[in-house]
Amino acid sequence: MITGKALPRRTFLRGMGTAVALPFLEAMVPALAGTRGSKPPVRMAFVYVPNGIIMDGWNPDYEGQLGTLPRILKPLEPLRQDVLLLGNLTHNTGRALLDGAGDHGRCCASYLTGVHPLKTLVDIKAGISFDQIVAKQVGKQTRFPSLELGMEDARQAGDCDSGYSCAYTNNLAWGSETQPLPPVLDPRALFERLFGNGRAMTPEDRARENLYRRSILDFVGDDTRKLETSLGPADRRKLDEYLASIREIERQIEKAEKDNAQIDPHMEKPYGVPADFAEHFKLMTDMMTVAFQSDLTRVITFLVTHEGTSRPYREIDIPDGHHPLTHHRNQPDLIEKVAQINCYHLRQFAAWIARMKSIKEGDATLLDNCMIVYGAGLSDGNRHLHEDLPTLIAGRGGQYIKSGRRIVYRKETPMCNLFLAMMDRMGVHVEHFGDSTGRLDGLDLA
Amino acid sequence: MQFPGPAKPPTGIVFDSAMDKIDDALALALLHGFEGRDEARIAAIGISNPDLKAAQFCDAVRIFYAGAAGLGAGSARGLPVGLAEGRSAGASTMLSAPVRATVVKSINDTADVTTVIRNALSAQYDRNAAAVLSGPATDLAKLLDMYGAKDLIAHKVKVLSMAAGAFPDGPPEPNIMEDIAAARRVFAEWPTPIVAAGYEIGTASPFPAASIEKDFAWSATHPIADAYRAYRPMPYDAPSWALAALLYAVRPKENYFQLSRPGTISVRDDGRTQFTASAEGQHRYLILDADRKERIIRTYIEIASAKPVEHKKKMAAK
Repeated sequence: MITGKALPRRTFLRGMGTAVALPFLEAMVPALAGTRGSKPPVRMAFVYVPNGIIMDGWNPDYEGQLGTLPRILKPLEPLRQDVLLLGNLTHNTGRALLDGAGDHGRCCASYLTGVHPLKTLVDIKAGISFDQIVAKQVGKQTRFPSLELGMEDARQAGDCDSGYSCAYTNNLAWGSETQPLPPVLDPRALFERLFGNGRAMTPEDRARENLYRRSILDFVGDDTRKLETSLGPADRRKLDEYLASIREIERQIEKAEKDNAQIDPHMEKPYGVPADFAEHFKLMTDMMTVAFQSDLTRVITFLVTHEGTSRPYREIDIPDGHHPLTHHRNQPDLIEKVAQINCYHLRQFAAWIARMKSIKEGDATLLDNCMIVYGAGLSDGNRHLHEDLPTLIAGRGGQYIKSGRRIVYRKETPMCNLFLAMMDRMGVHVEHFGDSTGRLDGLDLA
Repeated sequence: MQFPGPAKPPTGIVFDSAMDKIDDALALALLHGFEGRDEARIAAIGISNPDLKAAQFCDAVRIFYAGAAGLGAGSARGLPVGLAEGRSAGASTMLSAPVRATVVKSINDTADVTTVIRNALSAQYDRNAAAVLSGPATDLAKLLDMYGAKDLIAHKVKVLSMAAGAFPDGPPEPNIMEDIAAARRVFAEWPTPIVAAGYEIGTASPFPAASIEKDFAWSATHPIADAYRAYRPMPYDAPSWALAALLYAVRPKENYFQLSRPGTISVRDDGRTQFTASAEGQHRYLILDADRKERIIRTYIEIASAKPVEHKKKMAAK
């Protein structure tokens, strides 16, 4: 029987201070094909890595269809048909422009804002970031206009780079020219934000939950059972998988909390942050997946580690700080270590992209309906170059982007031209942004 | 913002030319000569004739001078050559000489010309840049359309010195004729003073062919000398339109030329320029005194043919 009825897109499973949004289910599509609103939404995310990239290991020596990928991009090789590599994009506003040292502060602050930030420790000033322009419009349709996430150092004050406030190096998203939006670092805090009922959990709530070791899925059990009776087999399987993924996230957070308590009860980092980089990355990206899957938000920025970080990577036997290593003075052993860090980041990213690709959404995959930009505000971290920024887009932005290619633009092509094109794709039409000179062309041309 | 730092550097020159006449190439040598003497800095090179060979030539000249100064080709971290897009009318004969070294292999190794000029200006101290135009005003007219560019130009550029027109009267001048609409826009809307080096200036103070054989001989592979020889059968003396515009921009106070009264330059339908004097006018044109001609030509030769001082020696002398 064909009816016009459909499960509302904004259905939640509720119970005991919990609200679990649902993924895109077939039951949400009105039975009569072609009905307006039946297409899954387009989402976008930015994944930012600091200190530049070893570009010899990033740029293929060819344009056009992607084949064998260079060393750093190797983890994406099985996914190369889902990736678009963009060459020669530039952020002129990240350059010194007479302001002297401080490329790390500038490149991060200008990355999504497209403006030259004010060199200061106190009266910070950059510009609204383009993700927030999108969030202000598209975000009205989702529970969270945007999510700002990170994995390291949310300090907002102090000198993080040659006279640039830490607010510049530690934030990607800016709500206004004076208001950076600090990233959420703690998976537990993010989890509670995504699945709470809008109010922060009190210590008592958390203690009660811990005492009984209950999952949020236990709280929404009644709603789940009711819903399942009205779903077809495919949707039921999808819902099961989705709820299982949430349970898995819970388990990972619980494990991190347990591990942290054993390792060092006095550690400074938030209680729910895994000690292991890869585990932390997976937790954050798993929640990003759920947030996109259940349309909790369509805009995410993810500052993997803060710009200029000197974080060591003991996980891959590199005890040296990331930033000092990038000033390698062309010493092969130091270059090799930076390349290993770059590869390590890409491995985590590729694993996430593979997970996004594995989730069906309508006739396509969750990844197909996303534009996930992976990039850095510097290309050569040794010389602090702001041109030919390492940039790739995973996903097709709703079957729009023709992936599986490398496009090299003319030198000095503003990165903001990409932002204009992405805003168009998100349904937000702006004539000018930052130092844009037009819309980046070629994204949809094979 | 201009963060407190060392004293202002020499004037940053934005040189936009068609790079299709030999005076363009000589002006490029003059510009490198001024930069070698720390009298000017090359802020941006723009080419209004959309010919890749012209971009390769400018890049090869850059590499040549860097090499002559004992620097590697990659040492200069300047902006890429800006090249206009479109269909080329064909490369100039002066570009038929083989280009010995360039990193410009395709159009993607060049930049959009207005973007590169805008980006270059954004890195200059206020009123410490000069724009020099030799060729049609197409690129500069497009620059005026760019978001925020007029304001940027007004803040950064002290003068636009352009090889254009004929003064006080004369026949239509080729640079104007090539894009009359663009010339009109630039004269009408460019937000800084404009000084025009008219057709009569370039023809009255030619660059001597003899200098190419003698003064440029310090290198057997000098790209400017190669271009000069390729442009026309030797020997010939070359008009100096672009050189005059550049010389004024770098040394405005050296009295090489007289300046007209202030006024306004406009462009008639037939391409002839018209100067109307007015006290509040932002435009002037250069006037050549016969008794200053020799000094001007001597300066062209001295600076354009100068062998760069080795970087190490230069640094040691500082």
